[in-house]
Amino acid sequence: MGSIEEQRIDELLELIWTMEEEGNRVMEDIVDRSDDDMARSVLEKMENDTIYIAGEEVKFTKKGKKIAESIIRRHRLAERLLSEVFELESKNVHQEACKFEHILSPEVTDSVCTFLGHPPVCPHGKPIPRGVCCTRFKKEVKPLVVSIKDLEPGDEGRIVFITPKEHARLDRLGSLGIIPGSTIRLHQKSPTYVIKIGETDLALDREIAKEIYVKKIGG
Amino acid sequence: MHQHHKEVMKIGKKVVLVGNPNVGKSAIFGLLTGRYVMVSNYPGTTVELMQGYATFDKETLLIDTPGVNSLLPMSEDEKVTRDILLNEEIETVIQVVDAKNLRRGLLITIQLAEMGLPFILNLNMEDEARSRGISIDSKKLSEEFGVDTVATVATQKKGINNLVQKIRDSRASSYRMEYSRDIEEGIKKIEGILPDTNISKRSIALMLIAGDKSLSEWLYKHLSKKDISRIEKIRLDIQRGYDEPLGYIINTQRLECLDGILEKAVTRSETDTFTISEKIGSLSMHPVFGVPILIFVLFLMYKFVGEFGAQTMVDYFEGVIFGEYVNPWSIKVVEALIPVGIIQELLVGQYGIITMALTYALAIILPVLATFFIAFGILEDSGYLPRLAIMVNRAFNVIGLNGKAVLPMVLGLGCDTMATMTTRILETRKERIIVTLLLALAVPCSAQLGVILGMLSGVSLKAGIIWAGVMIMVLLVIGYLASLIVPGKGSDFILELPPIRMPHLENIVVKTLARIEWYLKEAVPLFILGTLILFTFDKIGLLSVIEEAASPVVVGFLGLPREATAAFLIGFLRRDYGAAGLFALQMDGMLDPIQILVSLVTMTLFVPCIANFFMIIKERGVKIAILMVSFIFPFAFIIGGILNFLLRYFEVVL
Ligand SMILES: Nc1nc2c(ncn2[C@@H]2O[C@H](COP(=O)(O)OP(=O)(O)OP(=O)(O)O)[C@@H](O)[C@H]2O)c(=O)[nH]1
Ligand SMILES: [Mg+2]
Ligand SMILES: [Zn+2]
Repeated sequence: MGSIEEQRIDELLELIWTMEEEGNRVMEDIVDRSDDDMARSVLEKMENDTIYIAGEEVKFTKKGKKIAESIIRRHRLAERLLSEVFELESKNVHQEACKFEHILSPEVTDSVCTFLGHPPVCPHGKPIPRGVCCTRFKKEVKPLVVSIKDLEPGDEGRIVFITPKEHARLDRLGSLGIIPGSTIRLHQKSPTYVIKIGETDLALDREIAKEIYVKKIGG
Repeated sequence: MHQHHKEVMKIGKKVVLVGNPNVGKSAIFGLLTGRYVMVSNYPGTTVELMQGYATFDKETLLIDTPGVNSLLPMSEDEKVTRDILLNEEIETVIQVVDAKNLRRGLLITIQLAEMGLPFILNLNMEDEARSRGISIDSKKLSEEFGVDTVATVATQKKGINNLVQKIRDSRASSYRMEYSRDIEEGIKKIEGILPDTNISKRSIALMLIAGDKSLSEWLYKHLSKKDISRIEKIRLDIQRGYDEPLGYIINTQRLECLDGILEKAVTRSETDTFTISEKIGSLSMHPVFGVPILIFVLFLMYKFVGEFGAQTMVDYFEGVIFGEYVNPWSIKVVEALIPVGIIQELLVGQYGIITMALTYALAIILPVLATFFIAFGILEDSGYLPRLAIMVNRAFNVIGLNGKAVLPMVLGLGCDTMATMTTRILETRKERIIVTLLLALAVPCSAQLGVILGMLSGVSLKAGIIWAGVMIMVLLVIGYLASLIVPGKGSDFILELPPIRMPHLENIVVKTLARIEWYLKEAVPLFILGTLILFTFDKIGLLSVIEEAASPVVVGFLGLPREATAAFLIGFLRRDYGAAGLFALQMDGMLDPIQILVSLVTMTLFVPCIANFFMIIKERGVKIAILMVSFIFPFAFIIGGILNFLLRYFEVVL
């Protein structure tokens, strides 16, 4: 764990990242949102190292972006881990994850990522920055959470998350009962995917099946 | 069947049947009203409102609706159902639930409860639930929702009396679901803006929060622009707290609530794993076995419709019944009773009502149609059609559609007009336009198909294959081009597969009779009209003028005898009638094999029949209808001409 100073910088980098995702880079807003009373002066110290200030806006330097990315990655993976494995509610997950993000080493982070099946989003639906493991696809650790497309016919799974792409698609799936928590069974994968939910058989395109992630039951 | 154009509500105490697709609403409707509406084993059978007075009380008007998975509509047929709940004074709702799929059903129950409408829960398909080891504690359910529940098995007419009893004392549900705090606060704020209506403000507020775009028309009618934007702002404020769309969040909260209820009310016992029907179901969509099964099904259809119907039966009806009895007798009777030459000709002449219109309609087309409807009814009720959709999904992607479009396309083989209406089950405008066009262009209806099969079987298998090949090519190429030209996008392929069921003889018979009745009512008058027109044209010499004028195309380009012009002329009214005209030419030995093939291809692609044309106008608008026809008309002749040229150039022997 780094010094207090480093921790404060990390917190701010994380905040800047999150706000950037929301489309807000305004310095004043960042200072407002931060829990740190000294945010302004810390930001000034960070300038030209991890960030630079352009007019009213704060932007990452290359170095800053890399650091922020890895913090966010650790934080959101920790959230996933907590909600998947310890089944914490998503409200409490955030607090706990804050503690984790400082402990996880790069190697541990990647194996957590693999264990969880390289999840693309956190429990709140925000994207998890990809790591080397995601592109290289290590198969040593058997993933806990997999996309339906990685199941074998006959496998059963509890839906953990659905990567949100299109609103209409989510609505339609939802009205058929396909939401996190529901149990499905994969019937076949070709010519199209067929899954069973409750007593309903549903045919789906591969594109849609790919976006539904489940935790395998049994086997 | 075919009561489109009837959107006005009749009077009476309105009892509306609502529920998920394919749960037996129409079957129950039939039992309560004694009026038959289409019952088939796939979702999306009913696509418009059907009304009928109850047999138990003539004041009660029952209304059957298209199936919905949520009262947040996603396609046109679903909107029909939501709108009737929103806009009509309703006495009672009967929610038909598939007892084995209670979770999906209760998702709608929550929404009905929120609307504040009196309703009863009808747990149908109790037999299937039981055989799958699912038992439902209906007392618990009644307690939870504060409404009556009735178990039924519509196919065995079980529990219907009970249902009738309960309709009288239906009441609004006492169930109230609490959403998360932010959503509840939003509901309160929006309730304050909304005017009073038939259904509760709470339910409308929830629809608005869920982002229901189909409500905008209603909103503009009832609220000022300012209020509408206030509501939108409230919605956006709530949305800010979530990453997923609010409709999905609301749905998720509902399902979470339901799971608690289901735990108390449903018990499952393990049953023997695989039933035969499940086995057949999974084989029919198997990547390897699915194809031979499809070919086998087509082969059986061909044997029954193409050989038995179009040859054996037609030979008998045409050759024996009409050829030896009806026509000779009619000629004798007419000549004896009516001495006026022109009337004799009108009835029994070359273009006579009996010798042409009725002979074509009853001797050539009806036998084919009847066998087709029987075979098709069996396919519909078995649950095979949606599985067919799986097999063709990939191919349909090429033409900007997905497997779901197979339903209207296959229904088109029954009747293009009805199939055009069934395009309502498709989600996007683009898909609806493409399917409408392809139906009008290259999907022959059963009547026409029968005549075609009958004619081709008199030529050779090769001719049949060339004909089918041309149609498939046209479907793919025009579909592909249309998918590039028509703006918009396709939709997700998410299709519910009904269980494979043993078709019920009773339903097949009633359905076939209903379809034949419709054919006789709709087609025969047009046949008579067509004959009258031909007769008049012939008498005043116009026919030979038209034949002369069309001869460069018909004779020169298509290489057909000039008499074929008359067939195309009546083809404007109905393509099957035109085809029957060609059939008669073939019978008289006036067409050689190449001419038969060319004329059939042209006639198949020829303009949609009048009824279909009006349906296209109704569903797609005048502009699109006219555009389509002005493309199809020349296109049919061009393809026919090219085929004629190729066949003769390469000296193909058929
Ligand atoms: N086993 C069984 N089958 C049933 C029962 N009720 C209806 N069916 C069958 O279920 C299928 C669907 O029935 P429909 O009445 O067309 O269903 P629907 O709800 O009107 O369907 P849509 O109009 O498509 O929404 C048909 O094949 C019926 O024979 C039942 O109680 N038990
Ligand atoms: Mg129906
Ligand atoms: Zn990874």
